[in-house]
Amino acid sequence: MDMKVDKKLGLKERYALMTRDLAWETTYQPMDKVFPQVTYEGIKIHDWNAWEDPFRLTMDAYWKYQAEKERKLYAILDAFNQNNGHLSVTDARYINVLKLFLGSTPPLELMAARGFTNVGRHMVGAGPRVACLMQAVDEYRHFQTQVHSISNYNKYYNGMNEFAHQQSRMWYLSDGKSFFDDAITAGPFEFMVAIGFAFEYVLTNILFVPFISGAAYNGDMAAMTVGFSAQSDEARHMTLGLECIKFMLEQDPDNLPIVQRWIDKWTWRGTRKLASVGMMMDYMLPKRIMSFKEAWEMYFEQNGAALFNDLARYGVKVPKCFVQTVAEKEHVTHQSWIGFYMKPDSTPFHTWIPEKDELDWLSEKYPNTFDKYYRPVLEHFDAQEKSGNRFNNKTAPMNCQVCISTIKFNDPDDPMKTLIRSKTYKGEKFHFCSLHCEEIFDAEPEKYIQAYISSHQVLQGNCAPEGVDTTAPDFEPGAHIAAYWRLDKAATGDFNGSEDQANFAAWRRQATSN
Amino acid sequence: MSYDLTIEPIGQTLALEDGQTILDAALRAGIHLPHACGQGYCGTCKVRIVDGTVDHGNASNFALMDYEREEGLALACCATLEEDTTVEAEVEVDADERSIPVRDFTGRVVGLDDLTPTIKAVRLSLDQPLDFQAGQYVNLELPGGIGTRAFSLANPPSGATEIELNIRLVPGGVGTSWIHRQLAVGDAIGLSGPYGRFFVRKSADMPMIFLAGGSGLSSPRAMILDLVETGSSLPITLVYGARNRAELYYHADFLELAARHGNFTYVPTLSDEPTASDWAGRRQFVHEAARDHFGNDFRGHKAYLCGPPMMIEASISTLMQGRLFERDIYTEKFFSAADAQQVRSPLFKRV
Repeated sequence: MDMKVDKKLGLKERYALMTRDLAWETTYQPMDKVFPQVTYEGIKIHDWNAWEDPFRLTMDAYWKYQAEKERKLYAILDAFNQNNGHLSVTDARYINVLKLFLGSTPPLELMAARGFTNVGRHMVGAGPRVACLMQAVDEYRHFQTQVHSISNYNKYYNGMNEFAHQQSRMWYLSDGKSFFDDAITAGPFEFMVAIGFAFEYVLTNILFVPFISGAAYNGDMAAMTVGFSAQSDEARHMTLGLECIKFMLEQDPDNLPIVQRWIDKWTWRGTRKLASVGMMMDYMLPKRIMSFKEAWEMYFEQNGAALFNDLARYGVKVPKCFVQTVAEKEHVTHQSWIGFYMKPDSTPFHTWIPEKDELDWLSEKYPNTFDKYYRPVLEHFDAQEKSGNRFNNKTAPMNCQVCISTIKFNDPDDPMKTLIRSKTYKGEKFHFCSLHCEEIFDAEPEKYIQAYISSHQVLQGNCAPEGVDTTAPDFEPGAHIAAYWRLDKAATGDFNGSEDQANFAAWRRQATSN
Repeated sequence: MSYDLTIEPIGQTLALEDGQTILDAALRAGIHLPHACGQGYCGTCKVRIVDGTVDHGNASNFALMDYEREEGLALACCATLEEDTTVEAEVEVDADERSIPVRDFTGRVVGLDDLTPTIKAVRLSLDQPLDFQAGQYVNLELPGGIGTRAFSLANPPSGATEIELNIRLVPGGVGTSWIHRQLAVGDAIGLSGPYGRFFVRKSADMPMIFLAGGSGLSSPRAMILDLVETGSSLPITLVYGARNRAELYYHADFLELAARHGNFTYVPTLSDEPTASDWAGRRQFVHEAARDHFGNDFRGHKAYLCGPPMMIEASISTLMQGRLFERDIYTEKFFSAADAQQVRSPLFKRV
């Protein structure tokens, strides 16, 4: 009998057969009713099948793979916890990195999960839909594993138990929250540029260095393993963001100016968000990896330049903010740390003045700025603290209407001058931390006038516990704020003299002596 | 100890150096395997071991699970061979690739002609017919410890036992200096081939644009002559650039070819011709001439690029801004170790 022997299928063909028919032309309702969000941003798509799906991962393979990752990760977490791993970190100051991380990052992973679930629903092609679904599940997993890995520290140290309550209320968490609020209320394509491209590709290494490498350098095997487990998902995430950019740029020439505006906007928004991350690298990790400046040069200036060189083929220009980020890299982390130090009653983590050898390290890493502008300030605060006159800024910060960062960064042309821009829109005055944020506002003012700024809410009497009469003549807006935040007094203020410091020292002594 | 690596489904076999990873070897051979981090963390470069044994090196336990190792998966960026091995990877199977096995040949120099002040046509008569796809190249074995040098075949495959290479004298180049100054008619020289994945995608059945600069004309010439000989009726355009009139070779042949074949258009251009000369044609770079000739709209074509790196880079940007993208652009670029090290962004795979 003659048998026709087909050539063995390649992986790509096999994948196509495994996943075809996951998208179809709807008949009960017209396609534009079923997918109402893919057109209003102005992005023109002519052929959804042109979406390249480089991962060729089917859902069944995905579940199997992720389940195995979880088993491995939780085995390591269990071992770390049972072995009192928290006592093996370099010193107890490190735990404040975890507190800042817990408030700022896992809730945003959850927001990312919501965003990708929504975008997965609204993309027309099967390729992006499946990729968004997997990324949504990944983000849930990252949220959960981050919280689980830190929960063991919560048994021993102050300031972690109210992170979920604080996330949408606390002043310094507003910038990250606003980043994701802005992204998930945008259309599906802008969300992909914001999170898939700017966050997951352009800026992701700057996030990973302080967290994963920081954990590894400082003896935190739990957080380090969470990081490695997440990093094996990141390649998929980066690829999705890049693929989306290429897809939009190739589908229609009219998409270029829209994509360019989003790249400009989200690269800047991401940069602002990273100032506090850089602060962890320069000030909070007892064992440092590299300076924020060095990380910025390696990951943003060099790798980012390689990407923008390639994107130039499509006519995309380097983001407008590029020059300003380079000018700011020697300033922002110092300004952020000094800003946090000055508010000892307002964070659930501790601050401190760096030790002398740490100040020397900063002088060496920041030869152009640290000795000239920042070391004298820190040494002044140190002297004041030691003479019993610890500086305490009790006022509420002023925030940028767009990025919600506190207005504290310098004018790029003058390090001695705070950059603030203001304008009146519909009779109300708004303030901005930079020209870039002002331009973002100008493009969509009706969106940004709705921004939630916690300082304003306090002054408007919206942050008092129930039962307090906010209209009483003697009402003091700031008096109830700690209660509103559910801020544990023991978690605030100086690390030196804190309960965490004393406990860690005592437990470590127990663990290492008889 | 070095071992052979066979990559399925394309069936190509490579000799790996001791300690060389699968990814490094594949990229150096011009075979693109998907990859991202290059250090065993991300799992983008996963391949299946069909036969043989590998050392997984630094592959992360989260990027390559234990059960995957048991099932015979490996990360190409970390895996080194412990015996001759066959892997199945996500290599695009190209319907137009004939996968002709590489063989060794002995050639005798039967012609040495100056095409331009810097380019010689070297014609070799081979001891056996060389089967190849127009656009591919051979490695010449040069004597005296010089080693091998790659040169594109400038003749169409119908030539059977006689091949032509157009070789430019690279200033300070040991290999090309030897060919220009020492090689003589009657000499014997060893070579191997055919190599490369630069060939016409005939199955696409689309109009073609060839962009050639300097001695990068070799492959496009072979491809165009082959298309004409095999009766292609699709529109074919050659944009060919040289510095000046003296460096523009086979000019008369292409003018004549265009006169005989209505589907072939020849667009010569000079980038550094003295303004006072009698050249009446274009005075531009290749990418500028292409943009003007096509009115900045390259849609619906396949483009084949061959020439110096600067010309290739400028041409890719021009094509993309004229709406022709990676899937329709082919270059004779060779991947280097630098690609694996991520000096470029991962935005593009081949171009």
